Amino acid sequence: MFVRDYMTRHPVMAEPSMSIVEAQGIMAEMQVRHLPVVETGKRLVGLVTRQTMRIPPTELASLNVWEITRFLSNLKLEDVMVKRANVVTTQSDVALEEAAQIMIANKVGCLPVLEDDVVIGIITEIDMMAQLADLLGGNVPGVRATIRMPNKKGELAKVTGAISSQGWGIYASGGVRTPKDPDHWDCVLKVRDVPKEDLLAVLKTIEGQEVIDVR
Amino acid sequence: MTATERTHPPILKVANAAISYETRYGDVEAVRDVSFDVHRAQTFGVVGESGCGKSTVAFGIVDFLGPNGKIVGGSIKFQGQELVGRSQEELRKLRGDQISMVYQDPMQALNPSVTIGDQLAEVLTVHRGIPKDEAWKKSINMLDRVYMPDSANVMNRYPHQISGGQQQRVVIAMALLNNPALLIMDEPTTALDVTVEAVVLDLIEDLKHDFDTAIVYITHDLGVVARVCNFVGVMYAGEMVEVGSVESIYGNPLHPYTQGLMRCVPKLGATKESSILYPIRGRVPAPKDRPKGACIFAPRCDYATDRCYNEKPSLRQIEAGHNARCFYSEEIDAEGWEPPKGLVPEITPVVEEAEREPIIRLQNLKTYYEQESSSLLSLVGAAEPMYVKAVDDVSLEVPPGKTLGIVGESGCGKSTLAKTIIGLETPRSGEAEFLGFDITAPVSQRDVDLIEELQMVFQNPDSTMNPSYSVGQQIGRPLRRFKAVPGDQVRQEVIRLLNAVRLDGSYYSRLPRQLSGGEKQRVGIARAFASRPDLVLCDEPVSALDVSVQAAVLNLLMEIQNEYDTTMMFIAHDLSVVRFFSDYVAVMYLGHLVEIGPAEEIYAPPYQPYTEALLSAVPIPDPTADQKHIRLSGTVPSALNPPSGCVFHTRCPRRDLLPDGGKICELETPPWQYNSEEHRIYCHIPIEELRKMEPVVTSR
Repeated sequence: MFVRDYMTRHPVMAEPSMSIVEAQGIMAEMQVRHLPVVETGKRLVGLVTRQTMRIPPTELASLNVWEITRFLSNLKLEDVMVKRANVVTTQSDVALEEAAQIMIANKVGCLPVLEDDVVIGIITEIDMMAQLADLLGGNVPGVRATIRMPNKKGELAKVTGAISSQGWGIYASGGVRTPKDPDHWDCVLKVRDVPKEDLLAVLKTIEGQEVIDVR
Repeated sequence: MTATERTHPPILKVANAAISYETRYGDVEAVRDVSFDVHRAQTFGVVGESGCGKSTVAFGIVDFLGPNGKIVGGSIKFQGQELVGRSQEELRKLRGDQISMVYQDPMQALNPSVTIGDQLAEVLTVHRGIPKDEAWKKSINMLDRVYMPDSANVMNRYPHQISGGQQQRVVIAMALLNNPALLIMDEPTTALDVTVEAVVLDLIEDLKHDFDTAIVYITHDLGVVARVCNFVGVMYAGEMVEVGSVESIYGNPLHPYTQGLMRCVPKLGATKESSILYPIRGRVPAPKDRPKGACIFAPRCDYATDRCYNEKPSLRQIEAGHNARCFYSEEIDAEGWEPPKGLVPEITPVVEEAEREPIIRLQNLKTYYEQESSSLLSLVGAAEPMYVKAVDDVSLEVPPGKTLGIVGESGCGKSTLAKTIIGLETPRSGEAEFLGFDITAPVSQRDVDLIEELQMVFQNPDSTMNPSYSVGQQIGRPLRRFKAVPGDQVRQEVIRLLNAVRLDGSYYSRLPRQLSGGEKQRVGIARAFASRPDLVLCDEPVSALDVSVQAAVLNLLMEIQNEYDTTMMFIAHDLSVVRFFSDYVAVMYLGHLVEIGPAEEIYAPPYQPYTEALLSAVPIPDPTADQKHIRLSGTVPSALNPPSGCVFHTRCPRRDLLPDGGKICELETPPWQYNSEEHRIYCHIPIEELRKMEPVVTSR
């Protein structure tokens, strides 16, 4: 679970001299929301998003309708892009959760992935979502159980032990401290090829734990 | 764990592209109305016969068309950006950064006077401005990535100092150094041996997976397409006639041309009957003769109706994700196809006569080439002479009227063996008998009657025909020389021979440059058969030809052989062709015969380990077939200094079947083991062990 596994390689990129009109067309056609701006050798010089393309109305207020047209058609990506110094980036060997934290801390929707300043990929919110979905087994059919357990060592082992003693396997799992309850953990498990009732019956036998949800 | 499916728009989107070349006679439309998409981490194969516009499409993507080529219509979008109409400068930047190309001949892509390391590092220093020493390190890493043995040392070598397969790996490494989003490969393995090709194809598959690169793969070889491609576009006469996933195209070809192509590709089938070839009649029209406002394939199509001649079909979807350019795709049933009369020769099986004396018999034949020694002693003539052992200790027999196929990688001595028999090389020792006559003497000392009975069909018809002599003169010459017919009947006889190879009398006065490749090869065959020889040696007679022409030429050879009861020795590197054509097969490696026997027995266990590796490397035009994965490491050792013991021991994948890691293979020459009376194998591994092997190819 590193950036390299979930990033999009060969992202759509643009040159600083490209007009905004063309860039918008490309973003629409390629269904992307972020456009790394690169110079020769795919070196990052900036980043364009839909937000950066939004021109403040005050800038246009003094222009008449013909001037606006000319102003817009002359606008290049280098005029509106976030400059290199302000672009938050990451590397391919960074752990995914670390990249997520960088995105949260900077409130950005994407991180260009660099190798010696050369863009080799891009990782976005959507990639993070895909990873979350995969992490909890969202892409496979099966029974999903949420179990609340005390914040003590050996609790998770009880659950996995109970499941493996039945000859079942855990396809995906995730654990998080129960919101607003520091003494408990919520654990989500995805178990395949097992009837819901059977799983519920087994989980209920575990002492000191509570089955919140099975679906 | 499978990841969540993500959809991305295609990396490359070609829509209705039309490309023309300016010529003295006006613009020639080489490609028209071609549309396809290429997605990331997928290979799109473009297949078709020569001259159908495959390479033009590839060059058109990056506008490498040369001064007289131009894109006249349609759009080519790369990552959403329109490429048509861009300046060369903009395209140059793109080509360096995001699009790479790999061509057929690695030697043409590499600079012969610059070391490999400098050439690789240059890509990084120029395009990325990386310092030299760092670029050098990255280049070594990339060479490792393409499985180059001893990569650090290879960096200091010149291109001619490494083998062809390694050169192609260097070119691929160079193409990947900039981590391109799109890789265009134009016949990247056509110039390579089958075992090397297999390794390079594996590599391409791995790289696609690891780098998420979109690949456009251009080839004429349907077997290669089945192995590496996800999607296929079949081109014919400048148009894309069928597009679909590789499984759907091979499993259920919808266009009559694709169906025809599938029928004329030799398959590595289990029986000779299953490998009958059906050529497509007629020939590909030249760009200026292509029918306008009609289906371009109609003149050669068995299903054509009036509508096909008067209306141009469009590429339309027949089933999900599978498009074809034909009005009748839904109705045509490829299974129910019956070959039209006369397309395939009716071969009457020859009644086996008991124990006919072999027409040719070789006993321990050795042909060596003396090599200049670089030692000082050689100046005074005292140095030990060095020899390239091109043919070493070969013994074989061919019964009359049968065909012996000889296969092996390049440099294994196939052609030298043929040259020795024909008398162009003199053997160093051993016996060679033909019809009881000794044929160890060079051709200049042979009796004319003997020469008359021994003829040859060469690989490249261009270089074996005098360009300023007409076809009639070329075929007439052996007739006059051998006095096969009275002088006044030569012309009639030539025309009879031309008819026999399916050319009419009007070809008599044509010059070689007025013939297509297939026609030239037919003339070559007619000339070889002019003197009614008893033995014809064919040295790769079809390897320069397109599949549909190849099928026609092979059928023709079989027919003539059947008629005249000629014996043939058929040299080829393509094991599927040999399978189809031969009664007996001999496998050669490094001048040695390693296995010989009836064709059916060669293609089934027990195998000599080298034969097994060769068979597992052959690209099979069937994406569902299971093929064993055996890859030979290293390159063929030098024939100047062949390995001791068994010549194959340095690369043998089966040595560990023997005790002590196959020590015996290094020390002793293996014995001939007989599987049956006619099938013998040159190997230390006991025949019982070899019999336990699984068949290499199993079709589902």
